[in-house]
Amino acid sequence: MSEQVAFQHIEKTSLIGTRIKKPDAPAKAIGKTRYINDMVLPQMLYGKILHAGRTHAEIVSIDTSEAEKLPGVHLVITAQDTPDLKLGFVKDNAPLKDKVRCERDEVAAVAAESEAIAAEALKLIKVTYKDLPPVYTIEDGLKDGAPVIQDRFPDNKSLSFKFTHGDMAAAEQKSDIILDDVFNVHYVTHCCMGTSCAIADFDHNGKLTIYSQTQYPYNYKMDLAPALGIDPGDIRVIQPPTGGSFGAKLDVYPFEPVAAILAQKTGRPVKILFDREEEFINSPTRQPARMHLRTGCTSDGILTFRAADVMMDNGAYTSWGPTVPVIMMRTVSGHYRVPVVDFKGQAVYTNNAYAGSFRGYGNVQMTYATAQHMDMLAEKLAKDHNLDPIEFRLKNAQKSGEVTPQKSFLRECALAECLTTAAEASDYVNKLNKYTAERAQEGRYKRGIGLASSIHNAGGAKIHKSDGCGTILKMDDYARVTVITGASEIGQGIDAVIAQIVAEELGVPTEHVNLVNNDSDLGPWDVGVHASRTTFIAGNGARRAAIKAKKQILAAASKQANVSADELDLRGGFVVQDKDGAVVTKLDKMLRQMHFQPEPDVVMVSDYYEPNSEPEGRDHISDHSAAYSHAVHIAEVLVDTYTGEVKVEKVTMAQDVGRVINRMGLEAQMEGGLAFGLGFALSEEMIFEEGRLKNPSFRDYKLPTAPDMPDLDIHFIESDCAEGPYGAKGIAELPTIVVAPAIANAVYNATGIRFFNPPMTPEKVARAIWEKKQV
Amino acid sequence: MSEIEKYIAPDTVSDAVKALSSGGVTILAGGTDLTPQVDAGRRSHAPTLMNIRRVDDLSGITQNKGETRIGCLTTVSEIKQSDLAPAILRQAADHFASEQIRNAATLGGNICNASPAGDMINPLLVLDASVELASWKEGAMEVRREPISRFFTGPGKTIKHDNELLIAVVFDTPGPDFVGYFRKSGPRPALEISTVSVGIGGDYKDGAFHNVRVAFGAVGPTPLRGKATEAMLEGQALTAEVIDKAARAAQDDATPIDDIRATSWYRTHLIAVFTEELLNNVCQN
Amino acid sequence: MSVKTELNFTLNGRPVNIEVPVDMTVLNLLRENLDLKGTKYACGEGECGACTIEVDGTTINSCLMYAADLNGRTVMTIEGLGAGNKMHPMQQSFVDHGAVQCGFCMPGMIIQANYLVKQNPDLTREEMKRGLEGNICRCTGYTKVLDAVAAIVGAEG
Ligand SMILES: Cc1cc2nc3c(=O)[nH]c(=O)nc-3n(C[C@H](O)[C@H](O)[C@H](O)COP(=O)(O)OP(=O)(O)OC[C@H]3O[C@@H](n4cnc5c(N)ncnc54)[C@H](O)[C@@H]3O)c2cc1C
Ligand code: FES
Ligand code: FES
Repeated sequence: MSEQVAFQHIEKTSLIGTRIKKPDAPAKAIGKTRYINDMVLPQMLYGKILHAGRTHAEIVSIDTSEAEKLPGVHLVITAQDTPDLKLGFVKDNAPLKDKVRCERDEVAAVAAESEAIAAEALKLIKVTYKDLPPVYTIEDGLKDGAPVIQDRFPDNKSLSFKFTHGDMAAAEQKSDIILDDVFNVHYVTHCCMGTSCAIADFDHNGKLTIYSQTQYPYNYKMDLAPALGIDPGDIRVIQPPTGGSFGAKLDVYPFEPVAAILAQKTGRPVKILFDREEEFINSPTRQPARMHLRTGCTSDGILTFRAADVMMDNGAYTSWGPTVPVIMMRTVSGHYRVPVVDFKGQAVYTNNAYAGSFRGYGNVQMTYATAQHMDMLAEKLAKDHNLDPIEFRLKNAQKSGEVTPQKSFLRECALAECLTTAAEASDYVNKLNKYTAERAQEGRYKRGIGLASSIHNAGGAKIHKSDGCGTILKMDDYARVTVITGASEIGQGIDAVIAQIVAEELGVPTEHVNLVNNDSDLGPWDVGVHASRTTFIAGNGARRAAIKAKKQILAAASKQANVSADELDLRGGFVVQDKDGAVVTKLDKMLRQMHFQPEPDVVMVSDYYEPNSEPEGRDHISDHSAAYSHAVHIAEVLVDTYTGEVKVEKVTMAQDVGRVINRMGLEAQMEGGLAFGLGFALSEEMIFEEGRLKNPSFRDYKLPTAPDMPDLDIHFIESDCAEGPYGAKGIAELPTIVVAPAIANAVYNATGIRFFNPPMTPEKVARAIWEKKQV
Repeated sequence: MSEIEKYIAPDTVSDAVKALSSGGVTILAGGTDLTPQVDAGRRSHAPTLMNIRRVDDLSGITQNKGETRIGCLTTVSEIKQSDLAPAILRQAADHFASEQIRNAATLGGNICNASPAGDMINPLLVLDASVELASWKEGAMEVRREPISRFFTGPGKTIKHDNELLIAVVFDTPGPDFVGYFRKSGPRPALEISTVSVGIGGDYKDGAFHNVRVAFGAVGPTPLRGKATEAMLEGQALTAEVIDKAARAAQDDATPIDDIRATSWYRTHLIAVFTEELLNNVCQN
Repeated sequence: MSVKTELNFTLNGRPVNIEVPVDMTVLNLLRENLDLKGTKYACGEGECGACTIEVDGTTINSCLMYAADLNGRTVMTIEGLGAGNKMHPMQQSFVDHGAVQCGFCMPGMIIQANYLVKQNPDLTREEMKRGLEGNICRCTGYTKVLDAVAAIVGAEG
């Protein structure tokens, strides 16, 4: 074979923009993948947690003696066994509690030989509580003399945020129109199909191996250690395949240290796995928010100011939820030029559930409000001043090179293109006018069309001092590549993207790139999979590592073939002449020969990619992302005005993706992201009564199913981001962020009613329509 | 969870019914209600678990001398696909749970579970069906027939005795003039527990509606017949005015409550909407 | 513990003889006793379809079925759809169309999709949606799932 190939020429082709299959898909499709939920270790015990089931109480006494006596029970622990162990964003949480502050509070835990025995043992634990006056609303939490939830925060005020820019009084003066509305965004939750699970195992040296669904394995060690009283260096994190995450696992939650404590004390591996009801009650939610939004505009359609006062129910503990203003205060005015901005955000402790990070973090809430204000202005300006609704948005749309008041530098901005592309593809303006006219006519079914847009960080978010990712790349004698990356895979498809990028650079088939990224003892540091950052950051890292490896190979080949390295390239498993693709040698042969050259070598490179963004600092105002991206969604709905049912028939999406890398994975993220927004807009809602979840099941918490999905018309706008890998930007959150207000605007177009309090359930819509008819 | 001491899977109806006579038996059909209810601790097993899915002759739809008979083990999927099932029953089957549940869920189970939201019950009320209850009396099987309109006494409660097996549902095969429609709430086609369901049927001939029967689900402690609505509609031509009146009458017939799935306002509202919608369907038939 | 019963049934083409507590679900039998972890738990109450398997040629939620009722029946799980590591065309189609993300819902989804096509080889896209409404997927938004099934049906577009 090698003689034949000597005459071969290999053309330069590119994988970028093609459809790459997910490498782990076959094993998943045949049922062979062992998820963490499926894992069993030798000698493993099953842990189960006793939750308080009440919302605010002193724990007077706990009697575990009966539980301890049950055959098969190895250990029962309470807060008394775990003093001084802290966790959470402001360290206001603990693995086990000595006081109850919310329904889910972990009061005791059991390790037993089976799940059934552990469950039985929980029933035998006798806890005496003394109920305390509860706080279920922000108002009650702020009252003088309100019950104190967390002793360190006697006024119940947890995190607060502030940003002001420009002269508000002057801006108000200049405004011909001022909108002033309150939006209330509800509780929703991730509903990962694989329920929460952790398996903890200590070795004889006191080193913990934790099998975890975490999305941020490296900082996870730092957060988990104080909850165990051990050194972060003594933690190894292994990430088996996981059934979804979407932000739910971006923090340490109590069940993880509890599993570890049980393992530490029993000397046996311990697994804690939630059932679906536990999952609903004990998982973080999306941060609910009451957003008082004011927007000013001139009669020429120029925005003058935006002010937001955001109150957040913190719940009983602080995870990522109440930090969402970090993003809200940027996106409150992010993509339409607003010269004057005033943002206030305050979180208040209550005895309710607490929120974590969730796909679209903060921006799902904010855009639900801002995109409706834009629509309200567009309507008014069209009516009173004959301004075209797209023209109005284009007038205010930011452009490449602009810097927002929050210091986001919009290097490549394609908002205008997103707007025109989506509007044209959907025939937006004509339909808008047509449906507006039809609204007044008789008839049960009404159509509506609605547009929404937003901005999101698309090149990571430097919330820590570094937003980097490490990569180690090595090649073997058969030209197989192993990439050890810090980036985590939670189903989103970084495995395919890294294989694609590395294959692109090294001229090998994607199947020959093997990814290792599930063991913190092997992988180099990375911030975690969140903030739409992984393709951008880890993709850049993988590309840089591959380029280094390529250089090394070409240098060796250059010596051997006596051609300058610049004139060589790697294609199709060969070293070739760059200009005409003439084969010089086989890549695997070259790699083997590298051991035998005068200075023996092996291809083994590393890289740490740090994006050129600025750390947020204390005020969270900086150019915190290496790229920003925009998206426009146009939703078309059919409303049954009698039953209130809203059917989303079609969504046209235009998104600046920088550059398409894996087309199939990109589409998949757009479609899946949209489904989250759809559920948030129409059907998903955690119903709480006095701090207790009333619908902890899929029966009454309604996720979108296949018939709910609209037809999608997806347009990728390629703005070619200078810093992104091959020009790509991060993409995964915008689809979730933009669709809900597009639907709300479409429902308005159909019915003449604004819905400021999602979800737009049939009952809510029917009631509003009925009430409107009464007056 | 309660412990089961004995498991039986009889092959014949008489064996099944005989087994019931000694008491302490839980009947298992498709298990789609029983299993989750036991898991959630909402009910517990009796000492004997009797799987009736192996009993011959309890499955299938037959027609004979103007009567349609559906065996208790007939699954909702089978009903959905059967030409012998009246359209209104197939509509209810089509909006029932999911394909997988329909494949397991039996008609008998749906009736005996006695949920006010039981979707197959509603059309059976419209068809004025009866249930056949079999028990073991003095060495022989005895079967009584009860109209389904009298069968339910409360949520999960029926007039069926513990020693009785519901073996079949029977109703007069609808004549050529019969028209019936079923409607249930929810934006999803299925996988929704009804917050309201309405069924309407009768003979629609020469522009007038006769032998009208109206049924409501999930609006009271049991599935129920809308007697006032029926009386109001009987013999009427379905003019816009009559339909509107019927919708109001339907609202008076039902006594819905608030729960997390819907408020009583919305349920009452939907009853009128669906009644109107179905009567319009009847006109357009 | 509840009384046990002896079962003889066919599982993915092979005979199984086992004793189980009569109130054990098929899902638990498969996962805990028979080490077939392809079939997933995600709700345990019939709402999500992750546990879908075929019994006597029709699909059911294995979390709702008592294993005792398997006696004499024929069961196919995701592990039995293809042949070892060789994918069934439906599985291949899911992979090729990018329908698999976290993959947790996929065993149930694929079994159900395969069943639907067997039932009706001319399935329309609307019928696919209806037939899959008992299978929840949180990742994909279903579009690629429908594409994968459509490719098998040959009814794209
Ligand atoms: C996800 C999900 C969705 C659902 N959606 C719907 C829906 O849309 N509409 C709806 O109406 N229902 C729905 N159900 C409820 C359920 O599927 C039905 O009620 C079903 O018809 C019950 O039948 P089964 O054979 O499974 O009953 P089983 O669970 O076997 O039995 C139910 C009860 O009836 C008793 N029983 C069964 N057969 C007999 C008999 N022949 N004689 C005497 N007693 C008997 C049993 O002892 C038990 O108490 C849903 C359930 C689930 C899990
Ligand atoms: S686990 Fe069986 S349907 Fe969800
Ligand atoms: S692929 Fe993740 S739930 Fe379907």
